[in-house]
Amino acid sequence: MDEFQEILQDFLVESFELIEQLDQDLVELENTPEDLELLNGIFRVAHTIKGASSFLNFDVLTHLTHHMEDILNKARHGEIVLNAEIMDVVLESIDLMKALLHKIRDTSSDAGIDVAECVVKLDKISGGDGKVEIPVAKATPITEPTPAKEEASVDEDEPDYENMDPDEIEAEIERLLNKRQDEDKAKRAAKIAAGESVPEAPPEPDAVEPEKKPEPTPEPEPEPTSAPVPVAPRAAPARASEDDDAKAAAPAKRAPATVEQTIRVDVKRLDHLMNLIGELVLAKNRLIKINVDVEERYEGEEFLEELNQVVSIVSLVTTDLQIAVMKTRMLPIGKVFNKFPRMIRDLTRELNKKMELEIHGEDTELDKSIVEEIGDPLVHIIRNSCDHGIEMPDVRVAAGKPESGTVILKAYNEGNHIVIQIDDDGKGLDTEMLKNKSLDKGVITEKEADSMTEKEAFALIFKPGFSTAASVTSVSGRGVGMDVVKTNIEKLNGIIDIESEVGKGTSIKLKIPLTLAIIQALLVGVQEEHYAIPLASVLETVRISREEIYTVENRSVMRLRDDVLSLVHIGDIFEVERILDGSEHAYVVVLGLGASKLGLIVDSLVGQEEIVIKSLGDYLTGIEGIAGATIRGDGGVTLIVDVAALMHMAKGVKATALVERGGGASASKEKTKASDYTIMIVDDSKTDRMIMRKSLEPLGVTLVEASDGQEALNILKQGEKNFDAMLIDIEMPRMDGYTLATEIKKYNRYKNLPLIAVTSRTGKSDRMRGVESGMVEYITKPYSADYLSSVVQRNVNFKSEFL
Amino acid sequence: MSEKLKQIINKQAKQSEELSIDHSEDIVQLVGFVIGEEEYAVPILSIQEIIKPISWTRVPQTPKYILGVFNLRGSVIPLIDLRTKFGLGSKKHNEETRFFVLKEGDDVAGFVIDRLTMALRISKKNIGPAPDTMAGDGSLIDGVGKQEDRILTILKVNKLLERDF
Repeated sequence: MDEFQEILQDFLVESFELIEQLDQDLVELENTPEDLELLNGIFRVAHTIKGASSFLNFDVLTHLTHHMEDILNKARHGEIVLNAEIMDVVLESIDLMKALLHKIRDTSSDAGIDVAECVVKLDKISGGDGKVEIPVAKATPITEPTPAKEEASVDEDEPDYENMDPDEIEAEIERLLNKRQDEDKAKRAAKIAAGESVPEAPPEPDAVEPEKKPEPTPEPEPEPTSAPVPVAPRAAPARASEDDDAKAAAPAKRAPATVEQTIRVDVKRLDHLMNLIGELVLAKNRLIKINVDVEERYEGEEFLEELNQVVSIVSLVTTDLQIAVMKTRMLPIGKVFNKFPRMIRDLTRELNKKMELEIHGEDTELDKSIVEEIGDPLVHIIRNSCDHGIEMPDVRVAAGKPESGTVILKAYNEGNHIVIQIDDDGKGLDTEMLKNKSLDKGVITEKEADSMTEKEAFALIFKPGFSTAASVTSVSGRGVGMDVVKTNIEKLNGIIDIESEVGKGTSIKLKIPLTLAIIQALLVGVQEEHYAIPLASVLETVRISREEIYTVENRSVMRLRDDVLSLVHIGDIFEVERILDGSEHAYVVVLGLGASKLGLIVDSLVGQEEIVIKSLGDYLTGIEGIAGATIRGDGGVTLIVDVAALMHMAKGVKATALVERGGGASASKEKTKASDYTIMIVDDSKTDRMIMRKSLEPLGVTLVEASDGQEALNILKQGEKNFDAMLIDIEMPRMDGYTLATEIKKYNRYKNLPLIAVTSRTGKSDRMRGVESGMVEYITKPYSADYLSSVVQRNVNFKSEFL
Repeated sequence: MSEKLKQIINKQAKQSEELSIDHSEDIVQLVGFVIGEEEYAVPILSIQEIIKPISWTRVPQTPKYILGVFNLRGSVIPLIDLRTKFGLGSKKHNEETRFFVLKEGDDVAGFVIDRLTMALRISKKNIGPAPDTMAGDGSLIDGVGKQEDRILTILKVNKLLERDF
């Protein structure tokens, strides 16, 4: 049974691939009906699927493909000319075939889909009377020797077949083989006579040959056990000759060599490999960071050179490895593009328009997961172009354009992105019409409409509930399609760009990152937190000063060259508590996604890094604005910004960004008793702290001690207490008094906190430094207790009634 | 030395064997920990590991009891403060604070606890149901275990790991 499953899997994978090819070829064939090469190729596909399905006992599928093959065979021999009507039926039967294959994939059986109607149609075309046997009855050996033979060889294994006389079967096989060989000989003779060079390779030998393999392999298995010796060796050559027939002789001999070139690999394994590479990239980042640290610490040591070399090699190889593994996951976009010729053809007939599709760059490769996601958006865009873009033939002629419209679909690489461009030469987008329409539908307000740029107006087509078609057709106009495009492309971190000229046509560009798992990101800092923004969504970064930010209707905006860019502070979106006040300058990361732009204000730009996207796990999925997390070189976790969600969230955020906050949190509460005053003593000497404590204790104020600058800063950061003043020693380990003062003054809420230096340094320059770093008083040791007390009282506005 | 060690290991192995044979049906192995004043416990098999506090990253748009996420050997794991979750108000982490990494199926999360007590075996008959007022599907409490003079609140791991916001 396992073996059967394995064969079945192979069969399905192969069939789906073949059918994809088939669709495209058939449409092409309609345009060039006399292309014999193409026709042969198509016939082979139908034949292969028929052969394999009959071997696997899928009678309905065999039945259908058999009749399809009949038509193709006749066309191949010039008995039928393939016109549009015939093509419709053939294409319909291919759709049925797909349905059957899906059914087989899901249920391992092809029962339940009615093919009778289609078969009748097929049969009529091929010249039959329309009376077709029901699928269960196998095709008679005379018309269809191959499946019968295969069935026989399979059936010999089945117990209920045992009562049949083996001699009978053998005789039948032998008769069929002989017949077949004769036919083949005749055919080949005819071909040679017709001037077709036999050894010439068919159109896509590489594509077809490996696929052929599963078909002959399983076949010999039952024979050695059941069939008498003389038959076995003859069966194989017969099979080979059949292949010859199908492939115009030559490739059969080459087949074994080419088979080795490719291996089918389970996608799961590739995913696993990709995950491992991800871990490796993280480890590499970490190694680089450690290397930098070590370099700083052991500057000039000899082993550094060696370490450096190793680190560079590891990082180089990791990068190469990553690219190599990424490439194994790459698929040509042609896989998606293939279905469009068929779609355009169907649309042409459905809409009574004349259209042609040109495809360029179908070899461009991108990650499998993206290939899977990109299909739907493209379908919608192309349908939209056909339905709304391309005009009716008479309108086109009247406008002086060629009667037949053209849709150009192309893909190409641009840096770390792939660009998919869909151009049509239709009527183009009329911004006024778009605006009016949106107003009618209530998608935008009048005010918005007036201030809209051309690009923004184009982007209206992606609004949910919007449709430019006057009437809803089955093709488009239900106002859901283009909305889906936007969401899907944004999901892939892609950017949509629309250009259009009325009367000339429209061009839609989709810019999509090559891969999803490992991305380049811009790391930004806000307060003490870091966030990673996918670089694909970053258009540019600018450094601005506060004066460049304007507030319009409670929203921050800035002028960026000729555009007005709305701004939002990352801290407002992610609820970052802003203790530390930034300088006069801020950085704006200009984000672009789909067709919209947003300026994100951050405190600092940390740099660009390669990051591996990790999920936050089930517990934290769906956090708005967060796409995932990554592990940084220092082992910490950094969150990755979901740019699409962030843009959405930005709409609801008020412009608190960079608006000065008066007073700050330190606005001291009303003091009701002496112990409400809190003073911190920072000194590394325990004795000195004791002396200060003794001096201040009589006041009854609360005293907190810290033994160095770092500790003091930590106490402040915790923010558990509101301090009214600080007594700071200058010379301390870890962080000295000046540095501490400078650090404290960076915090908005401690801007007005009186800092009193208590030191034995008496030099003028020391005093100057103290003032520069933000100290308000300078007490030199030794001092009297009363003096210290009075200075403190003055600085904290100590109420005299507490004395 | 190694001889002695072997003996001890053998003895322990034997003991645990006896125990598991005799009482495998009605003995539950738990790990106890303290949050605030109360002692709680979870089944030992649901614990992936217990680690000392490490740094974590805040995740915005989450309830206050979710401290954020931390890196556990390459996996990003949510960190939940049980004090805040139980309405006790946060406390500074100290020497005894631990991260409890609990796992059930694919769900993994870290929980901050005040102090670890001990691993204990408790017979099923000593476990009473949760108080009526606290019982039900929505409750975090699985039951109340009694051992000597102690009372342990046994928590439902699946409930702890369930997202409730």
